[in-house]
Amino acid sequence: MENTLRQKAKGLLESGEVKVVIGYGWNRAKTRTTPVFITDPAEAESLVWNPLCVNNLSLYLTRKFKEIKALGRPAVVAKGCDIKNIVVLMTEGQFKREDVFIIGMTCSGTVYRQELWKGELTPNIMPTKCHNCDVRNPHVADFVVGEKTNFTPPEVPTGMVFDKIKELDSKPQADRWAFWVKEFSRCVKCYACRQVCSLCYCERCITEKNMPQWIETSAHPRGNLSWNLTRAMHLVGRCTFCGECERACPVNIPLNLINQKMIGVVKEAFDFKSGYDEKTHPPMIVFSPDDKENFIK
Amino acid sequence: MADKILKKEKLGALIESVTGKGGRFVAPTTDAHQVVFKKIKSADEVAGDYILARNSFKEFLFPQTEVVAEFTMGKDSVDMRGVEVHAPQTVVFGARPCEAASLAGMRALFTWDFVDEFYTKREENTVVVTVGCTKGDDACFCTTVNLSPESTEGADVYLREAGDSYTVKVISEKGKKFLEAHAAVFGEGKAKEDALFMPEKIKEVDLAKVSARLKDKGHYDDPVWAKLTRKCIGCGACTFVCPTCRCFDMVDEGTAFEGERRKNWDSCQYDTFTLHASGHNPREHQHQRWRNRFMCKFHFYPEKFSSKGCVGCGRCIRVCPVRLDITEVMVEFSK
Ligand code: SF4
Ligand code: SF4
Ligand code: SF4
Ligand code: SF4
Ligand code: SF4
Repeated sequence: MENTLRQKAKGLLESGEVKVVIGYGWNRAKTRTTPVFITDPAEAESLVWNPLCVNNLSLYLTRKFKEIKALGRPAVVAKGCDIKNIVVLMTEGQFKREDVFIIGMTCSGTVYRQELWKGELTPNIMPTKCHNCDVRNPHVADFVVGEKTNFTPPEVPTGMVFDKIKELDSKPQADRWAFWVKEFSRCVKCYACRQVCSLCYCERCITEKNMPQWIETSAHPRGNLSWNLTRAMHLVGRCTFCGECERACPVNIPLNLINQKMIGVVKEAFDFKSGYDEKTHPPMIVFSPDDKENFIK
Repeated sequence: MADKILKKEKLGALIESVTGKGGRFVAPTTDAHQVVFKKIKSADEVAGDYILARNSFKEFLFPQTEVVAEFTMGKDSVDMRGVEVHAPQTVVFGARPCEAASLAGMRALFTWDFVDEFYTKREENTVVVTVGCTKGDDACFCTTVNLSPESTEGADVYLREAGDSYTVKVISEKGKKFLEAHAAVFGEGKAKEDALFMPEKIKEVDLAKVSARLKDKGHYDDPVWAKLTRKCIGCGACTFVCPTCRCFDMVDEGTAFEGERRKNWDSCQYDTFTLHASGHNPREHQHQRWRNRFMCKFHFYPEKFSSKGCVGCGRCIRVCPVRLDITEVMVEFSK
């Protein structure tokens, strides 16, 4: 697959169809992958593809990255789950389909964190999203690398995140509250979760609005709770469960639990899952007379 | 003085001895699946098998958020009151030699043009007990910045693993007093020290060259910055875990009638860090912010305070979600 990928990238750059290929390369020690931006066809050789390719590179397509935008039309190496974010970005009018060349990678899963890699991809080091993945064959792409896989996700979603949600849901409200207060108490307010999320593309985040200060910047329980809850709310119906925020969080807050819970709620209320169809607008930005109003009590 | 040792089974007694006198005992412990520095109460909380804690212990000297003043709004005046500095007697146990070396720079900054008692008083009341590393990973690079698992800069007491004991070396006056205060816990004798983990020195790095290039203003607009650091997403995680990063922001919180002034961690990796009220931002692009972080470590600190800006602990490399490796930039700037 790596060869096909390199050939394609080289061809795209040579023909001038794209000006930059956003993909994965090795670090100096060849122990971890890291995002690379290839502009010279000769450098296409440095592209890699393996289960360490965890980053969701759709992030670099967002408007925050002005310098990358300035390079010209991009091609992006994307797994199915990354493509979901690209789809959301398109439904939200961030760019048009033709503005980006998607090199979709057929995927058999990645590691949850690169540190876990011991040379073999085993189920226990894969994130919950991979165990339930329905986009191992990229669903929106200009070019697909890799043989089609016939993996079918389990009917009932499985994995740590779902188990934990079930466990939490069965608890009384006070316990759930206590659980989150404790988890959020570790937050250091670094905002890595926001910076790594391609759907957090606002150029001025609400935390940075200080006249008035909507969300206190202090990492005390009040500030942490308001930050984490606000961010969660801003991703309802949009988050694709790519898991980047949890991966980036330096203090291991289980953000995937919140994200997946929200996804479940939206599915239930609107029968909608984000990231699949570039033509359907997400429920939070459309009004339909059929919308349930059962939340008004 | 005779050779001192600390039996590992005596760690609990040491903790009790410290906390019994009202002090706080900070050590690496496992929390939420990672090893972090935390205030602990008993020996079984202390992590045995770790490279270094994910966070640095700076938060016990310079907390993420702290109240530095309180205020009440009058009809046409503001009543501002200082607060007492909370500086409990503290023992930081199990720090690594690299991170202890960060204290000189911290102190230099917090006593530079203004003595920040919130920092200095706490530092004065803190004893740093380092343990030489017997394990490391591919992010450790202390030897490249002229430190090593044998360094004792910044430490008050330096321990070495030695089977079921630690060998004990007193480094500072504070360390001497600490040993005296808890004399019952320490024993006398010798023990065979375990081998240390020595990270290989990155041979392509030449610190003198890095400094020289940063000194020459011509590098400022070098396109290599953008090329090397384009992938940085400005998350700031690197600065939050770094033992030498100490930038902070002052915010007022409260109601229209009363409130408090807080000193909160900030990061040069944020675009708002240098954003002017006019809307102009002198560091508009992420690579310029990254350049600042690098210059802070390898130019500003060495030049201004003749102290280390980077101690090679590798924390920034481990937490970076895009694996931007500071040593790769050091290699480039050694050319
Ligand atoms: S979720 Fe699917 S596409 Fe994404 S990494 Fe896992 S298996 Fe691959
Ligand atoms: S909130 Fe987290 S899981 Fe959801 S899209 Fe953003 S980074 Fe991915
Ligand atoms: S990444 Fe984690 S620590 Fe940082 S702001 Fe987000 S939740 Fe808090
Ligand atoms: S810059 Fe990185 S390696 Fe250097 S002291 Fe800070 S965290 Fe450690
Ligand atoms: S941790 Fe990495 S991505 Fe985040 S600000 Fe630091 S260098 Fe940039």
